[in-house]
Amino acid sequence: MTTTQGVTAMPAGATPPASPRVAAPQRRRRRGHIGDRVLPYVLLAPALIGVLGLLGWPTVQLLFISLRKLDLRELVTGDMVWVGLQNYSDVLADSEFWTITLRTLIFCAAVVAATMLIGLLVAVLMKHVNPVVRIAIQVALVLAWAVPIIAATTVFQWIFDQQYGILNKTLDKLGFHDFIGYSWFGSGTSTLTVIGLIIVWQAVPFIAFSLYAGLIGVPREQYEAAGIDGASGFQTFRAVSWPALKPIATMVTFLSVLWDFQVFAQVWAVKQGGPDGESTTLPVLLYLKGIAGSHFGPAAAIAMLMLLFLVVLTARYLQLLVRSKEAELR
Amino acid sequence: MKRWIKLAAGVAAITLATAGCAGSSGSGNTQASSNAPAAQGGDITVWLMTGSAPDSLTTALNKEFEDKHPGTKVKYEVQQWNGIQQKLTTALGSQNPPDVFEIGNTQTPQFAAQGVLADLTSSVNDMNGSQWLKGLKDSGTFDGKQYGVPFYAANREVLYRKDMFEQAGITAPPTSNDEWLAAIDKLKAKFGSDPDFQALYLPGQYWYTLLSFIWDQGGDIAKGDGAKFTGTLDTPQAKAGLEFYKKLVDQSGTKAPKDNDESNPAQAGIYGAGKVAMFIGTPGEVATAAKTDPSLKDKTGAFAIPGKTAGKSAPVFLGGSNLAIPVNSKKQDLAKEYLKLLSSAKYQGEIAKGGFVPGTSTDISALDSDPYASVMAKASQNGRAVPSSPKWGDVEAGQNPLKDMLTAYLTGKKTVDQATADANAALNKLLG
Repeated sequence: MTTTQGVTAMPAGATPPASPRVAAPQRRRRRGHIGDRVLPYVLLAPALIGVLGLLGWPTVQLLFISLRKLDLRELVTGDMVWVGLQNYSDVLADSEFWTITLRTLIFCAAVVAATMLIGLLVAVLMKHVNPVVRIAIQVALVLAWAVPIIAATTVFQWIFDQQYGILNKTLDKLGFHDFIGYSWFGSGTSTLTVIGLIIVWQAVPFIAFSLYAGLIGVPREQYEAAGIDGASGFQTFRAVSWPALKPIATMVTFLSVLWDFQVFAQVWAVKQGGPDGESTTLPVLLYLKGIAGSHFGPAAAIAMLMLLFLVVLTARYLQLLVRSKEAELR
Repeated sequence: MKRWIKLAAGVAAITLATAGCAGSSGSGNTQASSNAPAAQGGDITVWLMTGSAPDSLTTALNKEFEDKHPGTKVKYEVQQWNGIQQKLTTALGSQNPPDVFEIGNTQTPQFAAQGVLADLTSSVNDMNGSQWLKGLKDSGTFDGKQYGVPFYAANREVLYRKDMFEQAGITAPPTSNDEWLAAIDKLKAKFGSDPDFQALYLPGQYWYTLLSFIWDQGGDIAKGDGAKFTGTLDTPQAKAGLEFYKKLVDQSGTKAPKDNDESNPAQAGIYGAGKVAMFIGTPGEVATAAKTDPSLKDKTGAFAIPGKTAGKSAPVFLGGSNLAIPVNSKKQDLAKEYLKLLSSAKYQGEIAKGGFVPGTSTDISALDSDPYASVMAKASQNGRAVPSSPKWGDVEAGQNPLKDMLTAYLTGKKTVDQATADANAALNKLLG
């Protein structure tokens, strides 16, 4: 960066624009070789092009498809039929879409809250138990995490099966005889609860490990200090552990929102959005329109709207990210 | 530094979320360009479904075709039913679709209406057209033109344990709804002490069976033609069919799930366990059950699904397949030649030997020797199809309102009026 050899007559204006806040380092860089200044961007370029090509382009494609009529016929003939915002107005005018959106939001919030709470409790537990038990917990968590989604879903389906499920049999043995032949998939709420259980079961390990990593980063002295001050267990957690956990907790919460909002496999595998469409979430609706119905236009419109919801939901987090970046640079 | 990682993770997650959405709906478009390498020379690609044509048939057929057309090779590929609709959508959108493919009869109108199948109207006579099975022919017709050639059909019948009927003192298989219910009572009286015994295994979402009852009462699912169909599930006839379904479920005390269909769990496996006296299925399912208990093959008999009038069996849903040529196949003429050969009496006889009702030949003598197949073949004459709406595919591929209606009514969640009204509205939304 600070080499003095081979200074070229390159005008200063060629330096990449930077915010006024980073003026100081810029002055130092001005003396650098042009190659040194360009090199970072050259090195970044393949990754950037990769990201844009693989992620940006599909999004643009999606936007275009959402403005077209794209059924089987158009797919085969390759005709471009532009319909403007027709797909959007059709989707938005459908009252079912709003019911499903509300259901998806509530479902997502419930699953994320449950995941975070259980994950946090497991993380705290791991910190307090002796190493042997901790390793046992960690192995169990990794195993749960490693089970393929559909395999786990199938296992849960059998657990909750009306006739042959172990849950109903166990409840019956425990004296709750009403559960003989009880259908856990009889209503949308009950079905979504079971689906939520599957998702939480699979999501907890990642959250627990992330939070546990945050917990072990807290210096022992702080706990000792809290102890000397006579803090109770909960007070210690609130004053010492939580501040250290907060950034990680925020991050994994928002990651969970992103994941749980668009979870499809478990929902579809359990009851295909049934009974009577009562467990249909937005990703299932998208599948029904796009893949099952071969109406790719409206499906793309739903996907764009989902993207919009996600941006709105995570806007606060993005804002935090941008702020913290500025803070660091300052 | 931590914050940077956080930022990177956040951005990556958002972009991944975006790409995830794009992937699921844009796939049809992007996959179109990347497909199997181009067929060379005069080769034709033929896609048939698993379990439809016996290997002996296809081997002989492909050999004869290759001999007749020197230099031509038949690339024969067997496809799985699971996910076939998506696979066909992708394949037909590609540059190199199969030249001949099998398509389920209920899916045919959708593909025909989208204009992706070649018009075969002028070739019907070359393909034994006078003997086509009517139910299948109708499913391959759209807007007065023929797009699908009947391949084979199968329909359901009641498969029963002859030994149990004898022990329960039932001398002849029931031929009317009342006799059927009486038989159930007799079976229950004889075997009811065994808690695992089921006089009839009837899952709640077995909508093909419901179709028989609705048709038998003189009703239908939807009426109309061309592109416009209106649901008729709220008619008294349809309600009567639904009510009889519930009567069967209640009276037989079947332990089958009310919120699932005949394949989840597979009913042949349940019958194979030996505690079920009757189930409604295709002849092929006896063979599946016999894998569990080989003695079932001899103990099982068949009778046509009884109707409300004694001696007159109920109409049956004709399940089966058509054959079609994609409109963008580059080997249209060869593909037609292939269909001509397949529709000849020789190969149709092979289909009958395989236990199916052949699509383009009325000669079903090969089925007579088989006790289950002969009953099926006789009932197939009274076979009917689902509404030939181009949007019917949506009904089956998505959330089938008929299944939801059955579950809601059978579990007592909705009354018959409420259930049929809701299902009719859902059907109108899908078909309208």
